[in-house]
Amino acid sequence: MRKYLFIFKAELMSALQYVANILLHMITYFIVIIIFFYLWNYIYDDPTQLINGYSKTQMIWYVIITEIIWNIVSGRKLCRRICDDVKSGNIAYNMNKPYNYIGYILSSHLGEGIIKSLIYITFGIILGRVFLGAFPTLNVLSIVLVILSLILAVVIDTLFIIFIGLFSLYIEDANPLFWLYSKLILILGTMFPIEFFPEVIQKITTVSPIYVICYGPAKLFVDFNLNNALNIIAFQFIYLAVAFGLCGVLYAKGVKKLNVNGG
Amino acid sequence: MLMAVKNQIKVTLVSVKYALMREMLNKWTFLMNVFFMILNNASFILQWIVIYSLKQDIGGYTFEQVLLLWAFTASTFGISHFFFRKAYSLSDTITYGKLDSYLVQPKNILISAITSEVDASAIGDMLYALIIVLISKLTMWQVLLFMILSICGGVILTALAVILASLSFWLNKSDMIADTGNNMTTHFATYPEGIFNGIVKFLLYTIIPVGFTNYIPVSVMTNFDWKLTLMVIGATAFWVAAAFAIFYKGLRRYSSSNLMIAKI
Amino acid sequence: MAVIEVKNLGKNFNVKLKEKGFMGSMKSVFQPSYKRVEAVKGVSFEVQEGEVIAFIGPNGAGKSTTIKMLTGILYPDGGNVKVLGIDPTRQRKKLAYEIGTVFGQKEQLWMHLTPYDNFKFFGAIYDIPAEEVEKRISELNDIFELQDIMNTPVRNLSLGQRIRCEIAASLIHRPKILFLDEPTIGLDPVVKDNIRKLIKKMNKEYKTTIFLTSHDVSDIEKLCKRVIIVNKGTLVLDDTMENLKYHYLNKKIVELKLAQKIDFSNVDGIKVLKQKDKSIKLEVDLKKKSLSDVWKLINPDDIIDVNISNTPLEEIISDIYKGG
Repeated sequence: MRKYLFIFKAELMSALQYVANILLHMITYFIVIIIFFYLWNYIYDDPTQLINGYSKTQMIWYVIITEIIWNIVSGRKLCRRICDDVKSGNIAYNMNKPYNYIGYILSSHLGEGIIKSLIYITFGIILGRVFLGAFPTLNVLSIVLVILSLILAVVIDTLFIIFIGLFSLYIEDANPLFWLYSKLILILGTMFPIEFFPEVIQKITTVSPIYVICYGPAKLFVDFNLNNALNIIAFQFIYLAVAFGLCGVLYAKGVKKLNVNGG
Repeated sequence: MLMAVKNQIKVTLVSVKYALMREMLNKWTFLMNVFFMILNNASFILQWIVIYSLKQDIGGYTFEQVLLLWAFTASTFGISHFFFRKAYSLSDTITYGKLDSYLVQPKNILISAITSEVDASAIGDMLYALIIVLISKLTMWQVLLFMILSICGGVILTALAVILASLSFWLNKSDMIADTGNNMTTHFATYPEGIFNGIVKFLLYTIIPVGFTNYIPVSVMTNFDWKLTLMVIGATAFWVAAAFAIFYKGLRRYSSSNLMIAKI
Repeated sequence: MAVIEVKNLGKNFNVKLKEKGFMGSMKSVFQPSYKRVEAVKGVSFEVQEGEVIAFIGPNGAGKSTTIKMLTGILYPDGGNVKVLGIDPTRQRKKLAYEIGTVFGQKEQLWMHLTPYDNFKFFGAIYDIPAEEVEKRISELNDIFELQDIMNTPVRNLSLGQRIRCEIAASLIHRPKILFLDEPTIGLDPVVKDNIRKLIKKMNKEYKTTIFLTSHDVSDIEKLCKRVIIVNKGTLVLDDTMENLKYHYLNKKIVELKLAQKIDFSNVDGIKVLKQKDKSIKLEVDLKKKSLSDVWKLINPDDIIDVNISNTPLEEIISDIYKGG
């Protein structure tokens, strides 16, 4: 019995350490939300005003949701991990295992994110309730669909980052590519809804990953509409397939290159 | 005394030079780091174009003033991370008992410990600030003022980092706390003062020193005020004194690498 | 003249304790309890100018802690330390000009710079004028034979070359006392010997007092005239090397090659360590048997080869550890 207790204890200790780290991340998240809270409070003259179709409360909820996605995915860490795997040759080691590297890294990253997402979602919702008082009107069906699109958004974003990370099979360092991607996501998707940009940009972003990764779930949360929901989720499934396909192709080609080099 | 100060400055500058040489060993990586940091800062202009398309005044700032705010954020962050890069990993230096080699040298421990590394991307920050200063059409006098205030701000940020890192003398695993504290400052430093009020504003002039690194400087640049400028210099002196006091108080508890051994 | 005076020196560390069981580890998270570990307790000794002294003891005996208190790295919790008449904690900088330190594996050199640039840097740290630094560099170059590696970045040097540079760099300001903490750790025997010769040379040429800790007994045997042994934070022995050997050397190792096989197995005072046909290795307890008693057991005509040696210092020291 003792040894199991010991294992239990050791795991609990590392979990507690993990929770402490998450709490510190939560402080950073809290600060970002506070800043946006003050910013939109300043910009909106009164609570009934609408800017580009959004009320003040909706704008802050929007950021609460997109920042949750941003933090759950924590792309920089993931991209660095893949680049390191490629550089250290770990990826070659993984090749002759009876599983696919993409599936491996995706599931391991998502598994790691699951507790984090529960904490972020709980904290984000409490934060919104306390500061905004209001909660968007959602019924059971809409909650299910919002959660589904949230999960899909995280999976698609993770796959795109894996795709970018796999570029390090071809170029020396894929981190700058990731950087470019993350900047686009941050400024065009996380801070503002698509409607805040000029029409030319809007046309591009509505068909870009930004639409399914940031805008989609957050928009559904602040302003649910069944048609919109079905549209966004359908789009997400298409992107899911595309992202998987891109990763697969890049990996298969890269592996051949690796084999040639290795041979 | 004067001689000692002169020698200290000389050693510090040589240290920075050598650290920069190390950073430049890989020229391609070095240039990429600098370039991407400039691009990184510049990308946020887009954010502010969107915000200013909604309202002409944000927290009492014009668009040009927001640019100036960003210039101060970049220059203070850049100066601090370039000259005092190790202040941001001082927590580890303390925890893993790596202060020993500085302790046996006849120079200031804290200064030696935080000046032995530079951050290449911090050069990108400083260049970005320079670019904004150039396009802002400032007078020579304003440029000089900008430089003085940036140095003060950079020193304040460094002092904050040292204080946060010094917690490691008392607490286990406080590196995450230090990171969170330092990030917090940067977040606030990129938004105009006028949007905040109440307790947050109070914090920004006390434990989060953004008021002295950014807000007063931006206001002094447009409406020069002797008293406010002196306040920034005074705040810098206060933060430096506090950093030294806390670091040296903690140093008495420094346990070199002995605690590590005891843990094993 | 005493250059190091240590009286009743003490240092404690607080080590976080984990109590047994699940509740214990919960408690250690929220309300940690600490155990005071006395790393050094009441150590007193003096070192005279120009001495080469070995400060030894098993792992965790308090060697490094003591050396760190002597050099101003750690604050003592009790007692008095005076190094060259200076209190290391009160006048750290003043002391730093007078002492040199080499801490085994901890690098003080910049890895991407050449030894030459490193020496220049250390020259600046110790406020030595530029011309003087050049002079001292060429001097160190001669003593440490650095000409071949003077312009190679430190990271491209072998470990032995690097340690040579570390020691040379620690001498740039001509310290009166040099503290060496495990200077030969991880080096191969030839390089070790080389380093030892250098340390000896330094002691002779500059009259540098040398305070050395090492695990390697031959370091101590070849370098030091005096030995201080600590164990569990207390001083167990402070004596000259000769006395140490004399007092603890009441055993001799006798190796014989004989023409005829002789059986020593039942002789009181003689222990057979090894026997292979006509070659035999004996340990003689001089309290019970003198060497002449041993010769009486052998026919002088049978002796082909003989070798008499002292018990290895290693064994003596480990005996003292056990006793202390």
